Amino acid sequence: MNLWFVLFKKECLEMVRNFKVIWVPLTFLFLGAIDPLTAYYMPKIVDALGGLPEGTVIEIPLPSPGESLLMSVGQFDTLGVLIIALMLMGTVAGERKSGVAEMVLVKPVPVGFYISAKWAAALILVWLSYFAGMLASWYYTGILFGWIPFGEFLACFFIYGLWLTFVMTMTIFYSSLLKSPGLAGFLSIATAVVLGFVSSGFSHWIKWSPALLKTYAGEYLLKSALPDATVPALLVTAGAIIALLIFSSAVFRKKELAG
Amino acid sequence: MDALLEHLPLIVPLVIVQLLLMIIAVIDLIRIEKTNGPKWVWALVVVLVNLIGPILYFIFGRRND
Repeated sequence: MNLWFVLFKKECLEMVRNFKVIWVPLTFLFLGAIDPLTAYYMPKIVDALGGLPEGTVIEIPLPSPGESLLMSVGQFDTLGVLIIALMLMGTVAGERKSGVAEMVLVKPVPVGFYISAKWAAALILVWLSYFAGMLASWYYTGILFGWIPFGEFLACFFIYGLWLTFVMTMTIFYSSLLKSPGLAGFLSIATAVVLGFVSSGFSHWIKWSPALLKTYAGEYLLKSALPDATVPALLVTAGAIIALLIFSSAVFRKKELAG
Repeated sequence: MDALLEHLPLIVPLVIVQLLLMIIAVIDLIRIEKTNGPKWVWALVVVLVNLIGPILYFIFGRRND
């Protein structure tokens, strides 16, 4: 276990050195706060800009608190996923390219330790950033549109957070499978998009799909009742995360032996 | 003017976040030895493109070796 902590510390140190630990949370914070703010000011901006023919009536309804928070979740679902995939795509592939991976694995370090230390460090960074973003959104929503009970907010936060964790684990998996960081990033974004597309298209057959967690978090927030399929979806996602982690180590070990 | 003062506490934090990102990117750009592509282009991108500029720099501009 001591060895694992050494690797984990190395990952944390690296995140501090390349400023990930600052810029990722700040970016998520911004993403979270911007949507409630623009939704609130949009009618005022349209008013101020004018230029509409006289008598035009455009009613832009203000969102309910739940809808406002969900807009930010939507923001994390697109830009957030993009940032997570791009920032983690080089985590293994890049180290293999630069030779750091070989330097680490020349010592008797289990591959599983190497991958799981990376995963744990990334997990902390992603959840910290995501929490900063959601908290900002919750706070701005509260001030502008009305407060969402903190318990409901937390439930929504954890349900959707598992999907982000899944995306993150998938990126690490592709990164250990492929040599090129760019391809790993592209494939994990593509998989996330396709999964979301297929799941919403066939949502009656695959109710347990990880990609539907966003929908369930939204339904819970708007109707205050968890859809029945939430628990299976959560379990499947957790299972998939563990499986991907095991695959990552296995695939990486094979690659190492191959050359 | 009153309206502006009323909205200021909401908008100022976001401006600060943007500035922070830019300042960190600039500091890093000064201290780093080499970037992907010319340094001065990155300097322009970081300073001129709001929010996206520093993020692009951190993802694509830094060399990780």
